[in-house]
Amino acid sequence: MKKIITLLTVLVLVLSSVLPVYAADGKVTYSGNAGNFVFEPGSEHSLTDLFPNFKGIMPGDTLTQKITVKNDADNKVKVKIYIRSLGAHEDSVEFLSQLGLKVSKSEENEMAYMFDAAANETAQLTDWVCLGTLYSGGEVNLDVTLNVPTSLDNEFQNKIGYLDWEFMIEEFPIEEGDPKPPQTGDNSNMGLWFALMISSLAMLIVLLVWRKKDKEDEESAVKR
Amino acid sequence: MLGKIKMKIVVASLMAALITLMSQATLAYYSTVGKATNVVTSGNIQFIIHEMTDQGKEFPKEGVYIVPGSRVSKRVSIENDCEHPFYLRVKMVYGVDAQELSAEDCFKLEIDETYWELHDGWYYYKGIVNPGETTPNVFSHVEIVGSKVDNSYIGKTLTLTVKAQAVQSENNPITDGITYTASGWPAE
Repeated sequence: MKKIITLLTVLVLVLSSVLPVYAADGKVTYSGNAGNFVFEPGSEHSLTDLFPNFKGIMPGDTLTQKITVKNDADNKVKVKIYIRSLGAHEDSVEFLSQLGLKVSKSEENEMAYMFDAAANETAQLTDWVCLGTLYSGGEVNLDVTLNVPTSLDNEFQNKIGYLDWEFMIEEFPIEEGDPKPPQTGDNSNMGLWFALMISSLAMLIVLLVWRKKDKEDEESAVKR
Repeated sequence: MLGKIKMKIVVASLMAALITLMSQATLAYYSTVGKATNVVTSGNIQFIIHEMTDQGKEFPKEGVYIVPGSRVSKRVSIENDCEHPFYLRVKMVYGVDAQELSAEDCFKLEIDETYWELHDGWYYYKGIVNPGETTPNVFSHVEIVGSKVDNSYIGKTLTLTVKAQAVQSENNPITDGITYTASGWPAE
């Protein structure tokens, strides 16, 4: 019994150290053919909310949010993806103007912010900013940082701030000279497997027929 | 002869249609726009003041009858009722018929100084109150000082009000573990 408990304890410890801890990420997915974007994870306040980490903020907090923008269109097209900010909703301006927001692309120097201003403003994202050209399966990551000043007053307890961002894609066909899209799907030769299946079935039928014939021959020999 | 011409026209038409389709396939591109409404919410600090009797019942809101020298059971503790830890301070305000009294006038409290430290008229809890936690009692009995409550108090209402204030402990460093050094205590 003692051994079992020890083993279980070790197992729990090993599992808890192995299991990854998932941070809540925002995700923008374009599915192709001028279809809609899918925004995840959403929240109780907005179905298209990309900021799961910016809830219940407190004075002095510095919070980060990773947002992955992905092209899920098929291999025949490449897309240019753009972002712009429409700013805060009118009733959110007072609250969001207290907060600092920074946005940068993950792969770039973290100091090279494409947006660095009060959270209610549109600032550097007033006009469309191109995030890059993405081939099928390609993605670009955005790092968003929210700074809450320690001076945030009690009057801003339990506030909700809404901030609109727009994403736009332009879809182009793949041209000669473009990098080959990554291989996806099953590469095995389906024809070969199908032929093998048919021949196995045929072999099985032949064997069954032979067996039946042998049985009939034996029975007729006994009767004689 | 006419058949050959017809055939040529058909072939030319087909080629023209094919070229048109191909050129469209090269030039055409889609564009679409999607809007994400992102949300930032702020947290808050909330607590509940519990006032109980020795029997584990709530202290009656209408109060209790007292006589000089009475020892009334009243256990006061504070519960963190939010998602954030906080520092806490409490203050007792005494009164008679809506007029404020000084602490020594009529009441005697036994404050548990193991957990509560007096500074500038407030008792500061010597630690952090985490979400869901309840502090130890600030005091558990109230004594009515017989020598101070004379006949002039007959028929009057004595009041003891517990005021509490809290300030977040996250991103709020203190000096030498002294909680009254935290920033952001509200004005009285």
